[in-house]
This record gives sequence, C-alpha cells and structure tokens, in this order.
Amino acid sequence: MSDPNRTHHVELKIPSLLVFLGVPDAILMELAGDLPAPQKTIDELSTSVIEACTNAMEHGNAMSADVGVELHFDFSPDRIEVTVLDSGPGFDHDSWKPPEDLMRERGRGITIMREFTDELHFERAEDGRFCVRLLKHLCSD
Amino acid sequence: MKIKERKQDGIAIIEMSGKLMGGPDAATFAETIKTLIHEGNLNILVDLGKVNWVNSTGLGILISGYSTVKKNGGDLKLLHVSDRIESIFMVSKLHTVFTSFDNEDEAIRSFA
Repeated sequence: MSDPNRTHHVELKIPSLLVFLGVPDAILMELAGDLPAPQKTIDELSTSVIEACTNAMEHGNAMSADVGVELHFDFSPDRIEVTVLDSGPGFDHDSWKPPEDLMRERGRGITIMREFTDELHFERAEDGRFCVRLLKHLCSD
Repeated sequence: MKIKERKQDGIAIIEMSGKLMGGPDAATFAETIKTLIHEGNLNILVDLGKVNWVNSTGLGILISGYSTVKKNGGDLKLLHVSDRIESIFMVSKLHTVFTSFDNEDEAIRSFA
C-alpha cells in the first residue's frame, strides 16, 4: 500500500464453486508484503476467509454456481476486515458448539475462524443475506 | 489438488500439490489410499510440501485416509508440513493425531 495511512476497500464476487476458494487467498497473499503485519497474521486471516467462503458456498448457497459469494475487504492502517455474504438462511451461531470427536471429518471451520481472528461476527445484512465479518488487527513483530 | 505417487525403501509416498479443499479431491485421495492398501502398501507418507493451503474439508480428507490406513493395520504420517498448515493442525488439535516430519529419510526410518 503506497500510503499506509489510507483505507482501501475491495469488493469481489465469486461463483459458489470450490475452485474459486483460492481467489480471496490470492488477493491477501499478493498484498501481504505491503501490509504492516507478519506473514503469520495474513495466513491466519486468509485461512479464516477460506473457511467462511467454504461455508457460504456449501451451506449458504448449496454449491449453486450461479449464486455468488460476495466479499468486501476493508484495509485500514491497523486492521483488515473481511465480510463474506451468502444467500442462505444462516445458522444458530450462539448455541453452536464444536463436536467433540477428534476424528470427525467435518465441523472444524468455525473453530478455525474463532481461533484465527480477533473478532468474528455472524450477522444478517440489511438486504437479508447472511454475513460473516472477520477482523484481524495488524501489528508488526 | 494433484497427486503423485512414488516408493522409497518400501514406503509409499504420496506427493500432494495445490490446494487441499474437498470436492473431487476427497474421492481422488481416498481412491489412492485404497489402491495402495490393496497392493499391500500399509505404510504411507503424505508429502504436503507443495500444498499451498488446506481448509477444514481438506483436513477431513486427511483424517479419512488416516482412519482407513489404521483400520487396515498400517500407518499414515505427514512430511513437509508448512507453518501455515501446521497452525491449522494445532488449533484443531490434529497435531495429536498425525505424526509429521521435516526430513524424508527420518520419516521413512520411523516406519521401521
């Protein structure tokens, strides 16, 4: 980012196909070198965004390629906020608890997002879409 | 995700590359494991050195393969796990399940 004091907003819409999960990751990795944060911070945010997009595609949009997942990236000098929107009904996130079976093959996405973000919000957007908001503070080592 | 197979000192090595994220990857990896077991290869080393990232569905693919190999009396271990992927193993507690190595020779010797 040429001016570290400015904020920048990027929007992206991807089809609900797993092959597109790498696109938001590519955006964050492309910018990682110019952000005032260790690579680990960007890796953790990007991993969380991939999880949010995976859920949006599978549970929100039922893997319908014609229904997009929308992402908003807000880059500030001290933090990155990513909003992921889908067209699904959402879920009861307040009562969600991680399954206990260590060898389960599914059900780790929310745990990963919780562990790797500084703030995680599940909300309903004004237009009715389900919305996951992920926030990561930037701090250099 | 792409998969290559090779053998080294009697150990089957599966080299994965790209993104490990579910979908068709699950069937491809499961079929590879099944074929190796059918051919008598019960000790399997999965090289993640060229995997860019893994999501939770991709973790499920590895767990499924691990469970299949264990049920058949073998063992599945990991090689070249990046810091990014290792951190996902840590938060999901799967580092207590999978044994991983940075060095291929050491990994192969561990099956003895």
